[in-house]
Amino acid sequence: MKLYAAALVVLLPCLAAVPEIDKAKTLGNPTAPIRIEIFSDFSCPHCKVLHENTLPLLMTDYVVPGKVYIVDRAFPLNGYKFSREAFGYAVAAARIGKYQQVANALFAKQSDWNLAGNVWPVVAAVLSPTEQKKVQELAKDPGVQAEIEAELQEGLAAGVNSTPTMIVTAGSKRYPLPPAPNYSLLKSMIDGLLPK
Amino acid sequence: MASYQSKPLRWTLVALRVILGAVFIYSGYVKLREPWALFAMGIDSYHMLPFRLVEPMARTLPWFEVLVGLLLIVGLWLRLSSAAVSVMMLVFMTAILHAYFTGQQISCGCFGPGEPISKWTMLRDGSMLAASLFVTWMALRRPRRMA
Repeated sequence: MKLYAAALVVLLPCLAAVPEIDKAKTLGNPTAPIRIEIFSDFSCPHCKVLHENTLPLLMTDYVVPGKVYIVDRAFPLNGYKFSREAFGYAVAAARIGKYQQVANALFAKQSDWNLAGNVWPVVAAVLSPTEQKKVQELAKDPGVQAEIEAELQEGLAAGVNSTPTMIVTAGSKRYPLPPAPNYSLLKSMIDGLLPK
Repeated sequence: MASYQSKPLRWTLVALRVILGAVFIYSGYVKLREPWALFAMGIDSYHMLPFRLVEPMARTLPWFEVLVGLLLIVGLWLRLSSAAVSVMMLVFMTAILHAYFTGQQISCGCFGPGEPISKWTMLRDGSMLAASLFVTWMALRRPRRMA
């Protein structure tokens, strides 16, 4: 009993340290046998390719049938000036359940805001006036920037050094994938990891 | 021939063979433990091999690494096994140098995923290449045993 209590005392802070996943930044069933975390940056061209080409395939083949659960993770790169601002709006939008819409718009119009920096008009275009007001208020919340920083640190701790990086988790095993993997290889890997 | 028979050199060669062999066995084992497609993605990220060859390479290379590693340690078919290790090290080194100097931020894939190519990777693999070339050269110089 004493041992059990001691183990609880040691383990509780560890459990508390795991950042809670915002449901708006996820796709699929959380109980799916495979989880894929995608560390990406809205400014990165390869992330746009993954979001627009690979993600729809993953959705059809694995997420909709309940085989894969996808979690978006912020990994703002230093080389892009407006990444943090874009993530600020996206994470704020997640808090009102509009993350996917904002993420889609940011990737679709990447070339419009990536250099010029006019991020807000791209975000505002997919929100109602009430939602725009809420997102602008939430984006100023220190908790939003803290969440972005926490995910960045989590990525660094997991060995992420470029974007997009996917980390596939099946059971207790975690596999960091090379950036932008070929879809047929990704499919082979997922199929191999799925319970028979 | 006399130099090949000197004791310190003989022990140096044995040590190099065991080290190289162990590294190759470990490298192959780490890849075999993981899904083959993960190693295939690593090979594909170098963009040096036609895609149709990526899967056969990913499925066979780890077994080949284990095999030549064992042969090297046991000292069987030493000319062939050491030459195979040298050729592999030359290919790996070329791929790593190409990726590094073309600014590709990819994982080495040498011992599974998660090791970005760095100066340390080049130093390690360069040392292994030098060691394997030395072992091969000495193996080729060694007089053939009569059957």
